[in-house]
Amino acid sequence: MNLEDIIQETKTYYCLECGKCSSLCPISRYDPQYSPRVMVENALLGLEDEIVYNKKLFSCLTCYTCQLKCPSDVDYPLFIQKARVLATAAGQHGDYAHSGTLQSIAMLMARSPLKQNRLEWLKKDGYRTSEKSDVMLFIGCSPYFEPVFEDIPMRTLNIAEASLKVLNSLGIEPLVHPDERCCGHDALWMGDVETFKKLAEHNATVIKESGVKKVIFFCPECYRTFKLDYPNYVKLDCEVMHISELLAQRLETEGLRFNEVKRKVTYQDPCRLGRHLGIYDAPRKVLQAIPGIELVEMEHNREESICCGTSCFTNCDSYSKQIRVERLLEAKATGAETLITSCPKCQTHFRCAMVNKGEEKGPDIEIELMDLVNLVATSLGG
Amino acid sequence: MNGQNGHKSVLVIGGGIAGIQASLDLANMGFKVYLVEKSPSIGGRMAQLDKTFPTNDCAMCILAPRMIEANSHSNIDLYTYSEVEDVSGEVSDFKVKIKRNSPFVDWSKCTGCGLCEEGCPVILPKEFDQGLGKRKAIFIPFPQAVPKKYTVDKREERPCKAACMDACPAHTNVLGYIKLIAEGEFQEAYKLIRDTNPLPASVGRVCYAPCEEACNRGQIDEPMAIRDLKRFAADQVNIEELEVPTVTKTDKKVAIVGSGPAGLAAANDLALKGHDVTIFEALPESGGMLRVGIPEYRLPKEILRKEIGYIQKLGVEIRTGVQVGKDIALEEIRGNYDALFIAAGAHGGMRLRMEGEELPGVIEGIRFLRAVNLGEKVEVGKKTAVIGGGNTAVDCARTAKRLGAEEVKIVYRRSRSEMPASAEETAAVEEEGIPIEFLTTPTRFFPGNGKLARMECVKMKLGEPDASGRPRPIPIEGSEFTTSVDTVIAALGQAPETEFVKEFGVSLSKRGMIEIDPETGATNIEGVFAGGDVVTGPAFVIDAIAAGKRAAHSIDRHLKGEPIEVKEEGKEPEKLSEEEVEDRKKRFPSQKRVRLRDEPIGERIKDFREVSLGYTVEEAIEEASRCLAGQIEGCIECHECAKRCEANAIAYTMQDEHIEIDVGAIILATGLDLYDVSPLTEYGYGKIKNVVTAIEFERLTAASGPTFGELKRPSDGKIPHAIAFIQCVGSRDFKHKAYCSSVCCMHATKEAILAYEHHPGTKSTIFYMDLRAVGKRFQEYVTRAKEEYNVTYIRSRPGRVAVNPENQNPIVWYEDTTTTETKNMEVDLVVLCQAMTPRGSKELAEMLGIELNEYGFVEVPDKLSHPVDSTRPGIFACGYVHSPRDIPDSVTQGSGAAARAAEVIAGGS
Repeated sequence: MNLEDIIQETKTYYCLECGKCSSLCPISRYDPQYSPRVMVENALLGLEDEIVYNKKLFSCLTCYTCQLKCPSDVDYPLFIQKARVLATAAGQHGDYAHSGTLQSIAMLMARSPLKQNRLEWLKKDGYRTSEKSDVMLFIGCSPYFEPVFEDIPMRTLNIAEASLKVLNSLGIEPLVHPDERCCGHDALWMGDVETFKKLAEHNATVIKESGVKKVIFFCPECYRTFKLDYPNYVKLDCEVMHISELLAQRLETEGLRFNEVKRKVTYQDPCRLGRHLGIYDAPRKVLQAIPGIELVEMEHNREESICCGTSCFTNCDSYSKQIRVERLLEAKATGAETLITSCPKCQTHFRCAMVNKGEEKGPDIEIELMDLVNLVATSLGG
Repeated sequence: MNGQNGHKSVLVIGGGIAGIQASLDLANMGFKVYLVEKSPSIGGRMAQLDKTFPTNDCAMCILAPRMIEANSHSNIDLYTYSEVEDVSGEVSDFKVKIKRNSPFVDWSKCTGCGLCEEGCPVILPKEFDQGLGKRKAIFIPFPQAVPKKYTVDKREERPCKAACMDACPAHTNVLGYIKLIAEGEFQEAYKLIRDTNPLPASVGRVCYAPCEEACNRGQIDEPMAIRDLKRFAADQVNIEELEVPTVTKTDKKVAIVGSGPAGLAAANDLALKGHDVTIFEALPESGGMLRVGIPEYRLPKEILRKEIGYIQKLGVEIRTGVQVGKDIALEEIRGNYDALFIAAGAHGGMRLRMEGEELPGVIEGIRFLRAVNLGEKVEVGKKTAVIGGGNTAVDCARTAKRLGAEEVKIVYRRSRSEMPASAEETAAVEEEGIPIEFLTTPTRFFPGNGKLARMECVKMKLGEPDASGRPRPIPIEGSEFTTSVDTVIAALGQAPETEFVKEFGVSLSKRGMIEIDPETGATNIEGVFAGGDVVTGPAFVIDAIAAGKRAAHSIDRHLKGEPIEVKEEGKEPEKLSEEEVEDRKKRFPSQKRVRLRDEPIGERIKDFREVSLGYTVEEAIEEASRCLAGQIEGCIECHECAKRCEANAIAYTMQDEHIEIDVGAIILATGLDLYDVSPLTEYGYGKIKNVVTAIEFERLTAASGPTFGELKRPSDGKIPHAIAFIQCVGSRDFKHKAYCSSVCCMHATKEAILAYEHHPGTKSTIFYMDLRAVGKRFQEYVTRAKEEYNVTYIRSRPGRVAVNPENQNPIVWYEDTTTTETKNMEVDLVVLCQAMTPRGSKELAEMLGIELNEYGFVEVPDKLSHPVDSTRPGIFACGYVHSPRDIPDSVTQGSGAAARAAEVIAGGS
């Protein structure tokens, strides 16, 4: 695939060069020189080097804010994804956060065979899982993230545990597979298609062999990848679903018995779940079904939600930080006690912003953070 | 070919500038034209514009003569407020069905004077001002409307029977004023009440409210608190600052005996007709029973004084302390005045006719109240008994309590259910710790130390109904008992004192009341009228007002030398049927009546402060919003317009009319609709107050607009000094309308120039994609905007409008595509140049059997040789429904379509 193919595939040739993308882009608001429009214009002018060797190519959050409002319907995030493949081929990459640890983990997981201990966390409580289940709960990178973000403190496994608890209370004893791998989301979006393919093929095989009919996700990135990207590379004969969708569905069909949780909350739409997949209502329906929960919306919500500021643990810089602060201030302005999200990465990034305030006396951005499934688990448990 | 005239006539659908042009061209060629327009006026979008580009000519100045010409042209049949229902046949022989919507106004009578509109209580968003301004339910779309005929915007059947208005003796427009209160228009509500009732603040406090008893909402849950709402409306107005209308004086003089509600109501109406009115009042204060019969705690004197003061401002002279028959003879008055109205009331008390009645300490109720109300020193003993069961008895008891009587009780000979006093008053008296002894009546009074000391009473039982229909109380033999008492107030009733009219020859009834023709108020003597309690015996305030008004109407006609005809009065109040009640219960959720709050009992009995506190604004609006009539959109059929229309043009029963015509050709010219920009959430329209659409901006600059041509921004009325115009909002956008709307570059330029002309120095920025100044003198126009009108053009499509919470200024985010820098600009006002879409083309295309393009514009198969021909022979299109275009192009196309249509209908001959 060359630049011309990318232009054809993403229809960037429709671009009117109006700059609406730039004025919507969360990065451009803090980095006035970052212009999605110029990136596209350079492509249309055939200036491949200006794209491939541009460090800012890896700044795009692929949050889809621009795409949803682009008058010419240019799929800029997809254009970026493809352009990064060219950049990767040219030996370019973004600035990896955490010294590249997280990228390395993904690459390690792409190796086959691999001896993993993914199920240790299941041992401590009375979780019910079943190897013969029709339903699989996809855990993804959570067991690996757990030690990396210990200092923030971000407990990704907490979300996995809560998800399992929630499924159990719905009467589902899911399969938790000992040999699943990273979904490949970050690899794909960073232009490392080779790694992505390996991971996708592995996961597809594992799922096929297990015979499950449905895979449930709590991470919107895994979900998006399975739902929208896997079909382009592998054959997957099962239904995929985000846990908030499952809950909303159950609410509608059978109803759910929640215990009261008195709390004023606001909700962060993760870009993968919201703008990528259009799922705005399901998590809100679940929240509003819990007695005692008062949901207040931030100024920018649903389609207009502001991103958590970093994608793929790459090019995390001062602009990322400013985006997070802006978002956390919006959350605080609602008067909510808790900021609910349904993406482990959103939560990780917001926690990071609150911990790494540095010495400077910044605005007060402290707010309780919680994943939707943790709240649901609390309310269903008992 | 068949048909006759059909061949030579053309149907034009749409009365905008393109349709008008096509119609006039054809009419001038000698062809018959049927011009059908959906709205009540022709003029279309152009009428909404302030100026036109690139000459900045006044849009209406160019358009209005064309509209008038179209309306008056003998070859044009103009059908406004009409719709094409069906089209059949083919070229040269189309059969067209047209539905003429009923305007509920007989347009052959309507003079367009606007009197109806002034009185209409239903306020709706004005379409012509894009909802920024308001109009009434009876309306003309805009001042220059053609035809200048009123239309009633009646959309639904009123869910109630307006029984309140029929029940009210004065037929006050209850529906109307409650609607106005619900709309927050309190001054207007007061004015409307005052049209039928010159004493709203007083009546709003003391009326027995027969309207509430009749109220149809009462059949659903609880009746409306009509009286309390009336009081609320009156309390919102500073009566002393009310404008006094100027009336043309007649040289007629009217004398009125008595300044009570009947006399005042008559005086008010007669003064408004221009007659000189003098009222003779026997008491030292004016107001009659309102002044001396009703205690201060129910009706503060100050309020009554203000209401009477306003009537005096109308030119009414009140001579107090002049007793007719004693200080001045009736004959003398009659000689000096052209007419006479006797409204002396019923101020005489009724005697008990029993032993000991003459003792000091026994007093007539009506005298007691009068003395207290006139500020005379009145003493009550420790133990006070009030005899009677009417409102006067209750008033006397509560007054005695306030004067310091330690024990007050009411003694009444029948039982609770027969008490004539209102349930409300009865409850209040008991709340204040005043017991009522039922089935008891006094028989004698005994003295002690030369004054009243004891009272003998007897217990009663109820027997067969008497003449009044109530069970007759019969004394129980041997049940006599005596109690000690210091004061007895006998509130047994009042009677008129009519001695003074006797010698004048006015005929009296056996009971001493003046006899009149109940429909006109005329007595047996010409020019002498009477009304109120002096005719009926003690009745209610609103009855007296109604009598005064009825007499005033008769007197006015008498003075003009016209025969005294009976004024049309309402019908009996109607109830909802059982089915209707069930239906209303389903449609409207049950909602409790908002109750008035009272002063705490412990406090209020200490003095004569007003007991009832009245509604707060929120309470009043909540209560007013319960009115069943107000639950519907549009006209509520209060008939105020009909009352005001001097041409008698209002026709509530008018039906839609269906007509059929034959035409040879059809021209489609329905114009444009404005694309709803709210899905473009990034621009904050509807959320950020200072983000408006271009057409709204146009109305804000137009002299006929909601701000009368003063350019002010919506949030705070501030003058916008910095304005940003955003182009292509919904246009050239795959997610909305992919086409260019064609006129936005130029109208934004024009609007920026207009902004500068309104407030020189205004800085306008136009965010554009490609500046499409394609027309004669258009480029020069843009250059002038830049050079002379402080307009800057920035090539960029903004992606986000935020708001500065401190000053409500919009902040426009954009990438300056010349420097590739993302920036933001804070301005006072953002104007969105929204996309435009073909109007009504989908429904019409189906009916006409023509094709449309993917965006709904008329499909034109041969754009080069037959540029106005649709896909069907004989059907042509012009203006915006054809394709996006400006006014000059639409006019040109209108002529083009007319020429093509003429070709068809003249064809072959």
